[in-house]
Amino acid sequence: MRIRGKAIAIVGIMLGASNPASMGGELLPADRPIAEAVDYYVDEAIHREGIQPAPTADDTTMIRRLTLDLAGRIPTNAEAQDFVGSSDSGKIVALVDRLLNSPGYVRHQTAELDELLMAGRRDHLRDYLTRSVSVNRPWDRIFRELMLPDESETLGKMAASYLKPQIKDADRLTADVSSTFFGVNISCAQCHDHPLVEDWKQDHFYGMKAFFERTTLLGKSKDGFLAERGFGTSRFKTTEGVERPARMMFLSGRKATEPEATRDATEEEKKLDKARFEKSQKDKAPPAPPRFSARAKLVELSLSPEDRGFFARAIVNRIWARLFGRGLVMPMDQMHSANPPSHPELLDWLARDTIAHGYDLKRLIRGMVLSHAYARESRWSGKGEPPRPSLFAVAALRPMTLEQLAASLRIATTDPSTLPDDQKSAELDRRIETIVQQGSPIAEALRSAGDGQIGVAEALLFSNGKRMDEDLLSDRDGRLLGRMLKLSSPDEQVTIAVRNIFGREPDPDERTALRKYLGLRTDRPAEACRQVVWALLTSPEFRFNH
Amino acid sequence: MAATRPSSFCGSSDHTIDRRGFLGTIAAGASAFAADMTALEVLKTPAVAADLKNKGKRVILLWLAGGSSQLETWDPKPGAPTGGPFRSIPTSVPSVRISELMPRMAARMDRTCIIRSLNTKIGDHGGGARLMMQGRRDDPSVRYPDMGAVLAHELGRADSRVPDYVTFYSATEGRGMAPGTPGFLGERYAPMSLTTETVPANLRKLDTIEDIDHQQRAELRDLLSRRFERDRSLSGALGSHNVAYERVRGLMASESLFDIRREPQAVRDRYGPTQFGEQALVARRLIEAGVPFVRVARAWWDSHGQNFETHQEMVPELDHVMAILLDDLAERGLLQDTLVITLAEFGRTPEINPSLGRDHFASAWSATLSGAGVKGGAVYGKTDANGRSVVDGQVGPAELFATIYQALGIDHEKQYMVGSRPVPLTDAGTEPVTAVLA
Repeated sequence: MRIRGKAIAIVGIMLGASNPASMGGELLPADRPIAEAVDYYVDEAIHREGIQPAPTADDTTMIRRLTLDLAGRIPTNAEAQDFVGSSDSGKIVALVDRLLNSPGYVRHQTAELDELLMAGRRDHLRDYLTRSVSVNRPWDRIFRELMLPDESETLGKMAASYLKPQIKDADRLTADVSSTFFGVNISCAQCHDHPLVEDWKQDHFYGMKAFFERTTLLGKSKDGFLAERGFGTSRFKTTEGVERPARMMFLSGRKATEPEATRDATEEEKKLDKARFEKSQKDKAPPAPPRFSARAKLVELSLSPEDRGFFARAIVNRIWARLFGRGLVMPMDQMHSANPPSHPELLDWLARDTIAHGYDLKRLIRGMVLSHAYARESRWSGKGEPPRPSLFAVAALRPMTLEQLAASLRIATTDPSTLPDDQKSAELDRRIETIVQQGSPIAEALRSAGDGQIGVAEALLFSNGKRMDEDLLSDRDGRLLGRMLKLSSPDEQVTIAVRNIFGREPDPDERTALRKYLGLRTDRPAEACRQVVWALLTSPEFRFNH
Repeated sequence: MAATRPSSFCGSSDHTIDRRGFLGTIAAGASAFAADMTALEVLKTPAVAADLKNKGKRVILLWLAGGSSQLETWDPKPGAPTGGPFRSIPTSVPSVRISELMPRMAARMDRTCIIRSLNTKIGDHGGGARLMMQGRRDDPSVRYPDMGAVLAHELGRADSRVPDYVTFYSATEGRGMAPGTPGFLGERYAPMSLTTETVPANLRKLDTIEDIDHQQRAELRDLLSRRFERDRSLSGALGSHNVAYERVRGLMASESLFDIRREPQAVRDRYGPTQFGEQALVARRLIEAGVPFVRVARAWWDSHGQNFETHQEMVPELDHVMAILLDDLAERGLLQDTLVITLAEFGRTPEINPSLGRDHFASAWSATLSGAGVKGGAVYGKTDANGRSVVDGQVGPAELFATIYQALGIDHEKQYMVGSRPVPLTDAGTEPVTAVLA
């Protein structure tokens, strides 16, 4: 199973990605737009397979996809019609830029990063992330602030919510940081050298853990402060039962060489640490950092020109996965030499580009969504079986996240005539954000029923949940149903419902089926309309980003 | 068990109970396809015979949330400095003694086996609860299914019209720390979770819609779905979405199973008017109807202060409910196919603290198995005279889970494919405690 020869080649590229100077002429020039590089490499792989990719999706699909991906919600029907009706050749770029600069982007990007960083935990980082995303804080700076939060100021206090709840479990934290920020799961190496992946040895796990082991929490999680000792080493037992010192070592194998990092603490040094901690507790203030900080060393090594490939590739892969339905490397935390990317050069190019442009995630996202690869149809009507997903020849069907779903449900059930006419106004943005805010009880209901997963709890919630019934199917003024009930013709009712919920015109078969459904219930027209709205909201066309 | 052992993924035998196995992984991120059943297939293992054996097997887990004291239940140490005020009493099995707080179970000891030698190492509620529900430590990058989800998957039917994983947890203390989790098995195996309500959420049709409309709007939904499904694969999340809606009406029909008013008054009286008793009765109704896994949590055993008052109040209730449940199952001919487990996140310290409490203790504590596949009356493992450590037959979470799976006729070495990676039911190299298996 060991593929040493191949591994060396891939590792070569991997390190190269962190060091643009070594790239030579292998990759497309660095000055090309991101979208062009994406299409160059993706199309190359598709053509190698002799496949014709799926055609470009229509405008209705594109504005829905882009609005969901960039602003975390579906477009209003007026936004959709405005976009579809425009003959401006630059309308996609204009739309993308408008969305990226809307409050919806901040909300959505915050939710996505919070999920990436805090998934499965009870705490959240939204306060810190909202502030960071609003100023498009670079990803490397976010990483630095999460690793080295300055708890003497507001933002640092917020950022400390990343480390504080998990600092007591250094094993888990080590695995978590390695997986989230560097795309590497080294938990296997906790017990023994990785049997299949030459890259990961026990020394890597304990080397990474050593960066965190000096940190502790003074006081209780909420009120306490992070405190880092300036000295001291730890040891671990190898599979052979031999005790070894755990030397601070980054995943690349590069070690911290400072004397403070490598030798045991003297009695004098222990006293220094203790005095610093005691002073902090007495002053009820965060302790001053030690002269040599292990966590600062981790940040330094992992962002250094030699080793930043891990960091850059991991975030590129995650953003790609969010927008394209799967990563260039799958699973996303198995970025090692035995698990090559589907498009190695593309990943390298994007990593290099991301580094060169200061880890600007908004720029990266913008580049990706402007590619043709992003804009394909999610149907496969070509010949034969659909091509394998890793070719990106057909767009992936992506379930909405819980936040996207809650926000979209509220937009879809808002009376369209209550929204401002100007589709590009700040007033519309404000109204939309208010509507989305009002979706938080729905988000809560979805969270308690299966956490936004596609499961029976969600189906039961939509089928029989009081919250859904009273909120989404409300016929009050300002809501879709209220509007529908004021319309006299079933045909108009069908049209407005399909437009508002699916963002398109009903096709003839749908129109017939929905009208028939209403026609069989002329004794209870209000109920009939409620049921039509329900069937549209619960259908997969609404539930998925397609 | 299985003659040919599937090789572990690591190819390494050095994952022992306290070590994390290298196991498969699923993309962390927000993408819901991570929990997608399509990524998962069961490897063909040479355990066909075992698979046939588990037909009709069921499990009721009595989850003693917060951590009950082994010293006031299954492993008393009367007279020891750590023993506390309660005596031990003889049981229907010669030489086996349990706490005097459990006279009913003492009389039924021949139906139950005790494992007195759990050493599980994790002593915080959340970590301990996840460990004892999953049989292994968390891994940040793989979402393990818990016992309920695995058993729902192994013992249930994919097209089941009843729920296959039901969990009751009524108290607020510790509820968030021990959620049921389907992990990589996907939302199909998520528990139907009951907290404050007695009937699962959203099972009952609202009064705002007639039954016929409820059914026909679902048909209208199907019609709209079919248009969308054209030229799209149903193997992924799109398929799961449809399956979820298809199961709604069937699950709604199972609502009556949660209604104990349908039981004769005499039966309700036996279980008693307590919430724990009533939920145990619902659990019996559910498994009788074919639900493979039900957990009933009783909280909150976390007696850092006044341990003895707490246990004097709670152990007799456990004794009563467990004894009646075993009797009822036996009388209905269900006990031979139903495994009743008592388990918690950990036990309690032998040392009695200044508040007369016992603290968290994971290094020498007890669990019990009764009914299907286990040797009633067996006692496995031993702690020292003061209960401070295991002196014989140490059992970790993986061994306990392997024993549970084997008792139900499930090969504990069976592997799931998560993406391209095989994940065994219990970590490689784990041996079940055969001494307690029938």
